Amino acid sequence: MSNFLDLKGKTYLVTGASGGIGTAVSKLISEYGANVILTGRNEATLTELHRALNSNSSIIVADLDEDSDIEKLVANIGQIDGIVHCAGIVKPMPIKFINRKNLEKVLNSNFYSAVLLTSSLLKKKKLNPESSMVYISSISSKFPYLGGGLYVSSKAALEAFAKTLALEHSNLLRANIISPGLVKTKIFEDTEQATGEEEMKAYEEKYLLGFGETEDIANTCAFLLSSRSKWITGENIIMDGGLTIGSKK
Amino acid sequence: MITITEFIQKLEEEFDDIEQNSLTPSTNYRSIENWGSMHALIIIALVDTEFDVSLSGADLKNTQTIQDLYDLVVSKK
Repeated sequence: MSNFLDLKGKTYLVTGASGGIGTAVSKLISEYGANVILTGRNEATLTELHRALNSNSSIIVADLDEDSDIEKLVANIGQIDGIVHCAGIVKPMPIKFINRKNLEKVLNSNFYSAVLLTSSLLKKKKLNPESSMVYISSISSKFPYLGGGLYVSSKAALEAFAKTLALEHSNLLRANIISPGLVKTKIFEDTEQATGEEEMKAYEEKYLLGFGETEDIANTCAFLLSSRSKWITGENIIMDGGLTIGSKK
Repeated sequence: MITITEFIQKLEEEFDDIEQNSLTPSTNYRSIENWGSMHALIIIALVDTEFDVSLSGADLKNTQTIQDLYDLVVSKK
């Protein structure tokens, strides 16, 4: 039997490729034979990742908060078969401290970037038929946390957008969302340092399967990009190690 | 940059569940009654919005007293 997942000859754009999930996704889909266009803000990290990938990959450094960078990115790529949108930031902010500046910063990075990039890819006809679009959200859009007003809202908006995309362009593409719980990335390390190791260990007990690994998310991404998921669109796949199904305690 | 007295006043204003004039520079802020993650978030957000200084979790970890916190903000300003 052939490999269950085969992405040979396909080209995917991975945003936020220099981050934890973006890196894992890029590595995995490259192993499955895909050509990967890596984009992100950190050129040094992208270059390092580029060297580590087996198949063809290319780098386009871009800050998706900037309209001009989105335009340049889209102009500089050829036809693609989909994207994995991992770009985003976390900015804890109690609601009474929310102002236009920090609201726009988070919405720009987590929501506007996805909407404007997608819109531009459609407008410039860069998406091949049967493209697959994967947007990385967060379980927090359904299961909010203290101080998450900015981040949680931006992810909820992203999910609503992805579903609308699936509906509006069903003849061209499938669009799906992955909503992870806490995954061990640099953001995880920062959170651990802020809250303390003990508190994090206590929190992990709520996860029936423990905290996630970036590879867990990458596996689902690869599946959603591949034709093996050809009957799945507009779906939000929750990957939270059992966090939200209930507590044993 | 404001004085430490003014800094303490701002903290007391933002922590809803604390009495005015109960904090001093030597107060270990984690010993504040009902201390929780929301208080840490308020400190980070207050410093961010008022002084345009970003504090990470690691930064906070290295401070104990309000004086430490104030000194950290001053050093990053």
